[in-house]
Amino acid sequence: MKISTKGRLATTTALVTIALIAAMILWANKEVEDANNKRRQTTQLTRGLTEVRLVTFEYILHRHERARQQEQEVSSRLQRLIADDTLVEPAQREILEDLRERIATTHRLVEELVPNPETRSDEDKESIRRFEAQLSSQILMLQQDSVANAFRLTDFSTERINAAQRRVETVILFGLGLIALTTVGGAWLINRNVLAPIHRLEQATREVAAGNWHYKVDVGSKDEIGDLSRNFDSMTHSLRMSFAQIERSNQELAALNQEIEAFSYSVSHDLRGPLRSMDGFSLALLEDYGDKLDDEAKDSLQRIRAASQRMGRLIDELLGLSRVTRAELNLKVVNLSQIAREIADSLDQQQPPRAVKWDIEEGITVHADSALIQIAMQNLMENAWKFTGKTEQPRVHIGSLQADGKKECFVADNGVGFDMAYADRLFGAFQRLHHESEFSGTGIGLAIVQRIFRRHEGAIRAQAKPGLGATFFFSLKEPNR
Amino acid sequence: MSESNKVILLVEDNPDDVTLTLRAFKRSHVMNTIAVARDGIEALDFLFARGAYASRAKDPLPTVVILDLKLPKLDGLGVLRAIRADERTRLQPVVILTSSKEEEDLISGYSLGANSYVRKPVDFTEFLEAVKVLGIYWLMMNESPPERKRL
Repeated sequence: MKISTKGRLATTTALVTIALIAAMILWANKEVEDANNKRRQTTQLTRGLTEVRLVTFEYILHRHERARQQEQEVSSRLQRLIADDTLVEPAQREILEDLRERIATTHRLVEELVPNPETRSDEDKESIRRFEAQLSSQILMLQQDSVANAFRLTDFSTERINAAQRRVETVILFGLGLIALTTVGGAWLINRNVLAPIHRLEQATREVAAGNWHYKVDVGSKDEIGDLSRNFDSMTHSLRMSFAQIERSNQELAALNQEIEAFSYSVSHDLRGPLRSMDGFSLALLEDYGDKLDDEAKDSLQRIRAASQRMGRLIDELLGLSRVTRAELNLKVVNLSQIAREIADSLDQQQPPRAVKWDIEEGITVHADSALIQIAMQNLMENAWKFTGKTEQPRVHIGSLQADGKKECFVADNGVGFDMAYADRLFGAFQRLHHESEFSGTGIGLAIVQRIFRRHEGAIRAQAKPGLGATFFFSLKEPNR
Repeated sequence: MSESNKVILLVEDNPDDVTLTLRAFKRSHVMNTIAVARDGIEALDFLFARGAYASRAKDPLPTVVILDLKLPKLDGLGVLRAIRADERTRLQPVVILTSSKEEEDLISGYSLGANSYVRKPVDFTEFLEAVKVLGIYWLMMNESPPERKRL
């Protein structure tokens, strides 16, 4: 059942309960009022009966016409009062009938009493006196019974009032109990059907966020939270599927990559063999038959040798590039300044000597693989060294700066620079922006550098102007703190 | 054993490389006998005097084995493993001379007990220099392990 349905049901139950209690109270009130009314009437009846008894008694004693008239008056009032059936409950109708009869009989008997017995003869007197004494006691007995019956009716009404009041108490108690039960039950249901599943969902989101893709919420209920958890489970299921798909693709890619690596490795090695032969046998020719060859033939042989050697270097650098790609990363804090200083020292010792002014900022550290970052710096600094070869006062600046909250290191030179229009070709393998006759090199150095920074999840970019020098900015992925 | 009696075993399948290596030895004035095996199995036959080399049973082991890694039938590392596994050739000096300078090959070579690892340069002048140094070192400077018993 949906939670909204349950909520509506609970609200309806509470409202119906309250309405029931209200109806019960209203009904009981009416009941009490009705009973009170009846008690008032029965009290009136009792009072009337007592009154009739008094005047009858007076009449029997004194035979005053006034008393007889009073008796008549009160009796007819009583008869009117008692003529109403609604005076009593149907259960007491019998008593009412009995009362009516007694009142009528009593009145009739009173009528039979002789108005003035003194005017009769003694014989008559005696019989009248006996008859009347009998009559009087019969009347008084009847009247006493009537009063007793009237009291019984009053008692019934009182009893009815009490019963109604007791019923109201019961209904209120029962209603309050029902409301309390609904509240407690509602709270329990909310906890079981809403809060507990939400807690499980929250736990699941944390598990999935932590990478546990196999975590299932598995809330079986048919409500909104059940829907939510089922959607959540199907979401993690699809995530798991896509993840597995990606993993499979990655594995395929890795296998393919490995194949390409193995292929290029073996090709590179196999290519070196023939090159060695070309170079070796050219030299053999020059050495063994040098005296028989003219200058042009010797020059051709030299060119064959030079080309073979150059191709050998290219292959070596290709192998270097592939090694950089395959090498395992061993990340730690590396002192870049120190590495730069060592490379600068080794470049300074090259022949012929050159006066490059090295300006190396102290204390630059990066989180990187020491061997790879060394290769990258070697390439960048060798480039700076090489391309300042024709500059008057060669200067190379190695430093770091903060850009957009990220640390960037740079190698800047005041060498020949290059046109930024060709910048996109800069990092491609075997791409050169200068003629080899001007500046030597295979054109693979920056490709290796870029691959090294990529492997560190970093980046490299260049800024340059022809004749004004070039600056290479690079950044590495900062370690998580 | 006089220096000129010392034999070098060159294990190399590429005929060009054989010619060039022999030429390099000649130009370095290494006059010793240089036996050539064209694959791994032939190299082991030579060392253990089997098959075509059965007549070598009485001859001493080579002063040094110069071993290429890429070989037909049994590769260089397999040859090295077999040399080190046999009591007779356990101490045989072996120099790996190959195109590869892959870390993996270097590690495998040294782990299997290679005595040296030299990379063949493309530039023949450099190659010549390397072979010359090898010849001088192993034939003249290095003391061979004591004569081993042969079956």
